[in-house]
Amino acid sequence: MNDPVLEIRDVSLSFRGKRTVLDVIGNRPARNVNALNGVSLDLKRGETLGVVGESGCGKSTLARCIVRLHEPGGGQVLFHGKDVFSSDERTDRTYNRRVQMMFQDPYSSLNPRMTTGQILSEALRVHEMCSEDELPGRLASLMDLVQLPKDALEKYPHQFSGGQRQRIAIARALAVEPEVLIADELVSALDVSVQAQIVNLLLDLQERLGLTILFVAHDLRLVRHVSNRVAVIYLGRIVELGDSETLFAKPSHPYSQALLSAAPSLDPDDKGKKIHLEGELPSPLDIPPGCPFHVRCRHKTPKCTTELPRLRPIPGRGAVACHHAEEIENA
Amino acid sequence: MTLKSIQTPLLEVSGLCTTFGAGNASIPAVRDVSFTVNKGEVLGLVGESGSGKSVTLRSILGLSRRYGTTTGSAIWRGENIVETPEAQMRKIRGGEIAMIFQEPMTSLNPLLTVGLQIDETLKAHTDMSASERKKRAIEMLDVVGIPAAASRLGEYPHQFSGGMRQRVMIAIALAARPKMLLADEPTTALDVTIQAQILDLILSLAQDFDMGVILVTHDLGVVAQTCDQVAVMYAGRIVEQGTVRSVLRAPQHPYTVGLMRSVPENVPPRTPLYSIPGTPPSLLSLPSGCAFAARCTHKTEICETSRPDLAGAGTGRSVACFNQVKNEGGAAA
Repeated sequence: MNDPVLEIRDVSLSFRGKRTVLDVIGNRPARNVNALNGVSLDLKRGETLGVVGESGCGKSTLARCIVRLHEPGGGQVLFHGKDVFSSDERTDRTYNRRVQMMFQDPYSSLNPRMTTGQILSEALRVHEMCSEDELPGRLASLMDLVQLPKDALEKYPHQFSGGQRQRIAIARALAVEPEVLIADELVSALDVSVQAQIVNLLLDLQERLGLTILFVAHDLRLVRHVSNRVAVIYLGRIVELGDSETLFAKPSHPYSQALLSAAPSLDPDDKGKKIHLEGELPSPLDIPPGCPFHVRCRHKTPKCTTELPRLRPIPGRGAVACHHAEEIENA
Repeated sequence: MTLKSIQTPLLEVSGLCTTFGAGNASIPAVRDVSFTVNKGEVLGLVGESGSGKSVTLRSILGLSRRYGTTTGSAIWRGENIVETPEAQMRKIRGGEIAMIFQEPMTSLNPLLTVGLQIDETLKAHTDMSASERKKRAIEMLDVVGIPAAASRLGEYPHQFSGGMRQRVMIAIALAARPKMLLADEPTTALDVTIQAQILDLILSLAQDFDMGVILVTHDLGVVAQTCDQVAVMYAGRIVEQGTVRSVLRAPQHPYTVGLMRSVPENVPPRTPLYSIPGTPPSLLSLPSGCAFAARCTHKTEICETSRPDLAGAGTGRSVACFNQVKNEGGAAA
């Protein structure tokens, strides 16, 4: 459980903006979207690491960096100690096989012109997982694994419901026997009762196949339910990282506190007990100096506006990037 | 309770049915839905996708007329607006009854400035002068919490973020001071922090303007935190109805119980979540008995053959089930 499978070291990524007419007139350079600003994470064998944050905070960019859909501008992604972006690893397809991604939208992530069987056998053929004779058997066992009927192999994606399509996406990821699954908002588009089915399937498969999962989602209840550890991201930086139960029971960073309290509770008596977060996420084009959260923070001091807090371990809790984590705890 | 029953309801919907298509391919999307909304009250409509929540809202405003047939009644100021002619309906829509749609990204006109889109509503529904309208538009943007409202009137929707666009939608809806607001999943596309802000806004506006609200959502947490009354829909019908506290604390319909239990709250982490077995029935071939029977854990013989009516079950509660669940609350006790 303790050796890291994936190590993400200080990864940063900025997307080049276009230089607009206004920029030219104002004699300004093109602006960059700083999507990730130095994210470090370890993914340990067999664990589920939840990643939460508001839209635009860089959750999905991080997931895409890990599977090499984006190349980070700085930092490294190490898989079993090897940099996956170094030139000899780039050409190596085994990494793609061992780290598989599942996407948010079950309606656009499957090719509408291919049957389920074709979708799955494509993955098996590309990675040369088995001989042609073994193919039907493999497909059948995959259908069993994700609890879809056998005749599903002959059908096209449009013939399935959202939940069934996510099962196909899971089957496609599992077809190539990966070690790590990156689930980017896997169940966000589904109804609660279907969500529960997919989450159960994922937890069951993780148990049986010893998978390591990075679970990116914005539904905090769900992340709490499936994760061993959780990272809270704000404007491309991790602001809090820790054991799931501790983080959810006693969040330390003021942003985590506000985020958790904004999630609507099922208890009608909690009405009006929220911490209100003013304003919106600042644009990643223009990240505030100092602590990026200070513009919305209730506890800010002059120090916060100038100095960027580092992610540091707090005794009895996880790691927190806040100058005042100790004082806020008792507030 | 006594006070509320004496008060005449703001909107009284009874026996509302909407069917799309005809003959063999007819789809009964809304079947015999009845509820009332009082002044200043928030009613939550919950259910899975395809349960008829949105169609109910659209049928009240006559927005589904072009595609289907609506029967039943929705009494608004003594008039059944289900039968009101289209020309007259246009005066009510956006004026007395306003609607907020689910997707702030697609429901604003990208080619018109935000100011103009608020102005349109006011022009259609009030006799205000141009300068008064502009003042009201600025005031509305201010009310919904858009900073520097005056300078943003001339901006286009793409210059606003998702949360801000939803605020603009609310500003447009509320500009003509409607008495009733129909909100169709107003926060589904937004982050939790922004969701909390928007819901607080709708609540405080409902109180300030003494407005009735119907809030369609699939998030039971949102219902718990914002609504007074709740109606749970399944396959086009209301299966359970009552005050939020009573329904969420002690759900009596097996479907509500299932929905509550599938939310991962107060469940030990990393244990299997409860999920309702099976899938909702196709509206094209609804069973003759209870639509939920095939997935129900409390099913008996009668459920297969006859359909339970929505019947009273204690104070202010009604449940459409032959075998109501007792003491099996899914809510936090």
